[in-house]
Amino acid sequence: MENIAKIVFGFYTLIILGGSLVAVGAKSLVRAMVGLIATLMGVAGMYMLLNAQFMALMQILIYVGAVCVLIFFAIMLTRADAGGEEADSAPLRQNLLALTAVLSVGGILGWLVLTRPLATTGTPVEVSIENLGLGLLGPYGLAFELISVVLLVSMAGAVLLAWERRNGK
Amino acid sequence: MNAIPAELLNILIGLVAVAASVGLIGLVMVWVERKVAGHIQRRPGPYEVGPSGALQPLCDALKLVGKQLFMPLGADPILFWLAPVLAFLPVLLLFLPLPVGDGLQALDVNLGVLLILAFSGLAVLSVLLAGWASNNKYGLLGAARGVAQAVAYEIPLLLSVLAVSFVAGSLDLAQVVKGQGTWPWNWNIMTQPLAFLIYIVSALGETNRAPFDLPEAESELTAGFHTEYSGMGFGLFFLAEYANMVVVCSVATALFLGGWHGPVLPGPVWFVLKVSALMLLMVFVRWTYPRVRFDQLLVINWKWLLPLAVANLLLTAFFVKLAQFA
Repeated sequence: MENIAKIVFGFYTLIILGGSLVAVGAKSLVRAMVGLIATLMGVAGMYMLLNAQFMALMQILIYVGAVCVLIFFAIMLTRADAGGEEADSAPLRQNLLALTAVLSVGGILGWLVLTRPLATTGTPVEVSIENLGLGLLGPYGLAFELISVVLLVSMAGAVLLAWERRNGK
Repeated sequence: MNAIPAELLNILIGLVAVAASVGLIGLVMVWVERKVAGHIQRRPGPYEVGPSGALQPLCDALKLVGKQLFMPLGADPILFWLAPVLAFLPVLLLFLPLPVGDGLQALDVNLGVLLILAFSGLAVLSVLLAGWASNNKYGLLGAARGVAQAVAYEIPLLLSVLAVSFVAGSLDLAQVVKGQGTWPWNWNIMTQPLAFLIYIVSALGETNRAPFDLPEAESELTAGFHTEYSGMGFGLFFLAEYANMVVVCSVATALFLGGWHGPVLPGPVWFVLKVSALMLLMVFVRWTYPRVRFDQLLVINWKWLLPLAVANLLLTAFFVKLAQFA
């Protein structure tokens, strides 16, 4: 069983890495989005491996089913084809800066995970939705409410932007 | 040599059964649809091949399989062929958690409804990719309509499903069915009639069925997002549409109409009967109502379905809590 888990882990890692490479490197925006979708599906698979079914399904429902579809909508409105400005490869300096950004964040996170591992169980334990809900409204209530504030602010911002555009016409 | 785990065997048998039945359902549904359409429009429908034209869909299917696959100039080859596959693949998964009878379920997961809702979202993606990759204005317009429609109608659908799972206290389809009784007045439709109505309307919207078939509106967009697909490329979209109808109707049966419960006849028979009745209803709706305009489509959703669904959910939550205290 443990070997199967390792093989599956490798498989999902390949999907995530491959998808994100396509997402970053593809010339066409739509292909980049398909890469992003593959990455998100891979992450959902990782959740499955952690026995967090609810998280995995929510990942697919929200990120793949809603967020990516909205990104697609935005791409459609821009009518960006493969010959557009963004199709040219970025200058070397920009690539190097991007690489440093990735390595610094990834390095810090990786270092933290490797040196200060959390106490974990050998096999993943499934958390029922009841416990998830109780946790979100109980001990993690503050974080949960703060997230809703963030969402509210961004929603208000979107309404405000649309409103100004309409009045300015 | 270890024995194959029973769960894996269950899924395998389920997949084979699903793959076989999807094709059969497609053939039967095409015939039913054409017959009903014919009679509603005062013509006989197909009647030459086989008894009452029952073998006509088989001939059509063979013709589709035999046709050459074309790809338009300037289309994105990978995305163009990915789209029909992406439309069809999730369908196989969607059938697995459906409880056809007591214990007759390919994949017994405690988040069955969520699984279906999550993976049915991939259907929108295939509409988008197909419309975009065809390099065709009609296709693109159809895809753009598809996004706006799917994003809008998914919300009331989710909310109405949530209301039922509040009452049942579970997201497991089999569990929801077990909470209902034999007779129609023991079914969830009696306690959640509004949710049922919202579910059916938004399910029509989600499956792109008339009167909400704007992404493929023949009279305006030739065939919308699948204009450029020939042969089985089109065939897969077609099969996926009917399979999605079956899934939507099965979920409605399990959530609202008591699933496999019913007097005298065995459970699976009742399940199939109820699903068939709902499918027939969808076919009748398609040939009865004219296609809505796009602004009407959005008004129905954002001004009626969504507020009603939210109000219904709040009321349901209130009464569920009240029942806990009482």
